[in-house]
Amino acid sequence: MFNSLLIANRGEIALRIVRACRELGVRSVAVYSDADARAPHVREADAAVRLGPAPSSESYLKGDLLIEAAHRTGAEAIHPGYGFLSEREWFARAVRDAGLAWVGPPAEAIAAMGSKTAARQLAIAHDVPVVPGTTEALTDAIEAARIAQQFGYPVLLKAAAGGGGKGMRVVREPGAIAGALDSARREAQNAFGDDAVYIEKYIEGPRHVEIQVLADTHGRCISLGERECSIQRRHQKMIEEAPSIAVSAELRRAMGAAAVRAAKAAGYVNAGTCEFLLDRDGKFYFLEMNTRIQVEHPVTELVTGLDLVAWQIRIAAGERLPFTSSIDPRGWAIECRITSEDTANGFLPSTGRIDYLHAPGGPGVRWDSGVESGSEVGLHYDPMLAKLIVWAPNREQAIARMKRALEELVIDGVETSREFHLRVLADPEFRRGAFTIQWLEERLPTLLGTAASPAAIEAAAIAAAMIAHRDRGGVRGAPPTAGGVAERAWDRMARIDGHRA
Amino acid sequence: MKYIVDVEGTRVEVDLEGEHARVGTAAYLVHLSTIEGTPVQVVTIGDAVHRVVARRSGARGSYVLRVDGARYAVEALDERSRAIRDLSAAAEGARGPQPVVAPMPGLVVKVHVAVGDVVTAGQPVVAMEAMKMENELRAPSAGTVHAIRATPGSAVEKGAVLVELR
Repeated sequence: MFNSLLIANRGEIALRIVRACRELGVRSVAVYSDADARAPHVREADAAVRLGPAPSSESYLKGDLLIEAAHRTGAEAIHPGYGFLSEREWFARAVRDAGLAWVGPPAEAIAAMGSKTAARQLAIAHDVPVVPGTTEALTDAIEAARIAQQFGYPVLLKAAAGGGGKGMRVVREPGAIAGALDSARREAQNAFGDDAVYIEKYIEGPRHVEIQVLADTHGRCISLGERECSIQRRHQKMIEEAPSIAVSAELRRAMGAAAVRAAKAAGYVNAGTCEFLLDRDGKFYFLEMNTRIQVEHPVTELVTGLDLVAWQIRIAAGERLPFTSSIDPRGWAIECRITSEDTANGFLPSTGRIDYLHAPGGPGVRWDSGVESGSEVGLHYDPMLAKLIVWAPNREQAIARMKRALEELVIDGVETSREFHLRVLADPEFRRGAFTIQWLEERLPTLLGTAASPAAIEAAAIAAAMIAHRDRGGVRGAPPTAGGVAERAWDRMARIDGHRA
Repeated sequence: MKYIVDVEGTRVEVDLEGEHARVGTAAYLVHLSTIEGTPVQVVTIGDAVHRVVARRSGARGSYVLRVDGARYAVEALDERSRAIRDLSAAAEGARGPQPVVAPMPGLVVKVHVAVGDVVTAGQPVVAMEAMKMENELRAPSAGTVHAIRATPGSAVEKGAVLVELR
């Protein structure tokens, strides 16, 4: 095992890696930008190195500074976390060339999976199903009909230069294909000045289901089962679960075997994730492989009992995986990403100081956070503040537990996604597990538009009247309500001016 | 004292006398206490316990309240203040629609409207980037675009006027 490891990241994942290091008896070295000098991940580490100013390009993305910091502090390995430089082949290579261990897959595996088209070719060559599609523009309707017959209906016509749904047509039967091709071409020509149109299999009601794999340096590679990540907005996952309500034990084995084939084909080592689309009929299609630890790794940890981050470090140190076969999930885990977004207001980013934070606790609740009371939330980094994760014996109980934990959570000072999560959890379709990757965006107006009950409005009205009454001096000795940060600064100024006068 | 409370557009009359609250025909014993060192206040209404976090928003009596799981924009005023504020709001309405302002510092990506365009309330007007995410800023009310103060590619501060409506 290493004596010392440098964590090339910030926020909740940096703290997560610090915790794994401490449990393994490895000295942890944190890095920070000027914006993060007092952040929890810095304070909890055994050593810390300043990288530079707040912008990532001058701090967390500076590969040379990171390697230099590792050398200076005697770190033998670098853990990149997720985001930043975690999937940069050049950085993995530079770390290795500097004589340091890289807690992640070899640079060659990152390269093999880095390009979507290369990963797709690799998958096809190793019998991992991909969404069938053409790579050359269609010449005419006869060709389109022939290929559609081969893929099976429905099919999707898609403009080569496409975007925003323009030049896209779903075709459900052979009779409609000629007309659809004509109109898709016309639309593509008008929108992009290019009428090239491709054809691919249309996936009905797709879910985003991904398989976690773990591979050691001794040739062993296992699947740790799936995560259900369909609850997304603009391709950003908001809620993840393990297992998936749509995956049977048999399907889990088939998807796990496919993921392991893809990983082995790429010469994969360490923790990685194969993303799949899963259709209504239980057919799955490989999308891409993420060559790093994922944000949502805790749900897999809770249903497998494994510490994935600790295993990443142990694998990088050359340890063998002690499992011979894939691991089946036990119970149910759900994760909600707590972001600094005003979800009631178009998900606008919310910035400011977290004046107060009360994290939930009790049975089955895990709180992985990069912030605390007093933290400043700025615009330099990702808006994810923390992850709330729960475990329970089954999905229904896990939803109830998550609801309870979200109700306990208090964050004052910035707007967060807490209320949004509560609304999703209360939705009957979500509770039935009846959703696809489009569900959240389609459902948002309903979710956010749901009016409060008359009883809740009455309670809010009484609370408001009591607080207003107290604040106007109606109650003796009670401290008045604080305003926003800026407002309080003005109050302070006014007081100082008052003293001067 | 009687308070007229606006909860997200719904008006509720709360008659508050000491620890007695009356809403319509319902009467409750109520209590408000603060939890030392936190912004959390405990409001009991009869036997029901609610955890409330209040934050002042602008004028006296205006708050953003978080009650248990939900957030409400509220305004609690006595009858006289309520009447005065309603009058001034009516006068403000007559002055015309509010401009589109930047809710946070960021980068203007795109302006979707031109001077003279008629916009409806809630229509996306400007795309702004902050925290690496693109966000649509919407018209707060219906109107005609009078002036555009935002240039795509330029950085703006919080509160900057981007589009003026008339």
